[in-house]
Amino acid sequence: MWEFVNYYFIPGLVLGCIYALGAIGITLTFGILRFANFAHGEIMMSGAYLTWTVMAIAAGAGLTLHPLVAMVPAAFLVILLFLGTDKFFYKPFRKEDTIKVVMASFGMMLIIRSAVQMIWGPNQITFVRGIAKPNATLSEITSNMGLQILMPNKHLFIFAGTIILVMALGYLLNRTRIGKAMRAVSDSPDLAHVTGINVDKVINATWIVGGICATAAGVFLVMDTQMLETTMGFRMLLPMFAAAILGGIGKPYGAVAGGLIIGLAEELSAYPWIGDTPLLSPGYKTGVAFAIMVVMLIVRPQGLFKGRSF
Amino acid sequence: MKNTLMATAATLLATSAMADVNIGNPMAMTGPIPDLNAPIAAAVDLAAANVNAQGGMFADGEAFNVIRADSACDPVAAVDAVTKLINVNGVSAIVGPVCSGATIAQAESVSMPAGVVTLSVSASSPAITSMEDGTDLVFRAAASDAYQGVALAELAIANGMSDIAVSYANDDYNAAIAAVFVEAFEGMGGTISANEAHEPNKASYRSEVATIGASSENLALFSYYGSGGITLMRNALETGAFANFIGADGMLSDELIEQLGAENLMTSTFTTSASDSSTPSFAAWQAIADEAGVPAADPFVANGYDATFMMALAIEHAGSDDREAIAESLRAIASGPGEVILPGQWAEAKAILAAGGDINYEGAAGNQDFDENGDVAGNFSKSTIVDGAWAAELIQ
Repeated sequence: MWEFVNYYFIPGLVLGCIYALGAIGITLTFGILRFANFAHGEIMMSGAYLTWTVMAIAAGAGLTLHPLVAMVPAAFLVILLFLGTDKFFYKPFRKEDTIKVVMASFGMMLIIRSAVQMIWGPNQITFVRGIAKPNATLSEITSNMGLQILMPNKHLFIFAGTIILVMALGYLLNRTRIGKAMRAVSDSPDLAHVTGINVDKVINATWIVGGICATAAGVFLVMDTQMLETTMGFRMLLPMFAAAILGGIGKPYGAVAGGLIIGLAEELSAYPWIGDTPLLSPGYKTGVAFAIMVVMLIVRPQGLFKGRSF
Repeated sequence: MKNTLMATAATLLATSAMADVNIGNPMAMTGPIPDLNAPIAAAVDLAAANVNAQGGMFADGEAFNVIRADSACDPVAAVDAVTKLINVNGVSAIVGPVCSGATIAQAESVSMPAGVVTLSVSASSPAITSMEDGTDLVFRAAASDAYQGVALAELAIANGMSDIAVSYANDDYNAAIAAVFVEAFEGMGGTISANEAHEPNKASYRSEVATIGASSENLALFSYYGSGGITLMRNALETGAFANFIGADGMLSDELIEQLGAENLMTSTFTTSASDSSTPSFAAWQAIADEAGVPAADPFVANGYDATFMMALAIEHAGSDDREAIAESLRAIASGPGEVILPGQWAEAKAILAAGGDINYEGAAGNQDFDENGDVAGNFSKSTIVDGAWAAELIQ
């Protein structure tokens, strides 16, 4: 029972948190700007590299920064990167066919990855050295309660960070003027336009929210794997798209739910539900995300939270 | 001024028109093993530099150019890279693809149909032995894992492991060596308690290690360090699923020490293709490599030098850089009869070939005598942590 919780369920949730944060950006761009942003994974990756750089510079000055602190200046740079790519690469195509801006984002993906390889090199970079042992206090408290929960600190930080970001996002979308405008543009851009909503402002807000979430997703990913690698963002792209589609395009909460479901499904598919061999060979983990995406598109293209269907 | 320009342009034209010898060199510059790849690439360049410094190719001393491309240790990227090398650069032969999957894919879909010889520096999958399909176009300067898998199984038995769980990455190299290992280990009376593939490049392998970790204390891990190997080991160490680790070349990197810490690797042993450092060939190679600052004994570095040097010898032997004659010449220069040539002895070899004599290249990594499948025999070493760094010891 506790083996299930500690080695399948909690890792699935950790992975789900990372997918969820990445999928928020994808679903917002898809909903508000109406194109699939292939460069999102690379933005995540560059956010993680920038965070590492901030930490390295701080360490050079004798300061030890926690990744969650170093993430703040890195997120600013990522937002600038997002706004810059929008201005120079996506905006010129905004009135054109969607396929052109999708291709532009594909090009950006390759440009950003190559640029990172040029600047930081193709080798892996160690984020945190060594292995993370479970948090002793948590184990002690839970074992006093008759539970056995083993979680390293990095996972506690990932959970806490995700919860804070999703709550902040909920406040932004439901309580603030710009958030409501974002939802309005997502639901119907023409109607939003005639009611006097400044669409350009909404688009910038979308990139800012997407940039913050993408940086967080990238940093959480490297906190978990403890290393930086230039294709790590691209590898997360498919499950993140699957999460966005599962939750419903344009629905941030749908993206969160979709991310958690995809993350859990990937990890739990390898649990020995029947007998003592894995239900599905772990070699097919990626296939699980893909299968969920395909089935969802066929059965319920608008997703769990009734997003847009194409 | 105008005349000078004209003259410069004429020289440029003349240079490009003059037939240099070009070989293609797709290396895993990016991808999961850039660390392992870098010294191998340096050894390839060193061999070409030796050739050019000692008279170049043929009677008129043409340059021996290595045109590098990035195969990224990936079948798709390798096909792209080699297509460009063969069709655009018009190379005479391919020395390179580092990874087995990349080598197989580029050979099947590009180099074999084009009739171009491939001489891999480090692809070790047993599948490469039998893939040529009636042609004689795929060679390698590294020993097949058909031997390394057995060596690793013997090592596991010798270390007192009677049962072991196997986890391998789902690619040509890792799946093949895992299959050889499993068969050999069971043949020696060991028990394989679990044998599961894992998908490379996942963020977490906790469920994998938990599922197979229940069955044994020992893990045979076949993976590239950069595409999941380190993450899987980290997850296994964090959850305490396994106590002892063994594995092959794909995992043997300083990155493991850098990322996991030497103190966590005290129970790990990895094998790799190694050179017998007592041979005169290795001594000659060591001298050249030390002078150039290339790490002579790192995995596959000597093989990279041998492959490039042999390709130059083969083209010199063939007397032209036509693609057709290279395979036959490669066999002629690599094994006896003939004058023994050691690494770096380009001028000597050139003189013998010019006089119509035979040569037999004895490589830094081994004798490099190709069998009928284009494979070579080799030695293996096991590496363990001694004083915070990998220390290799020859085992076979």
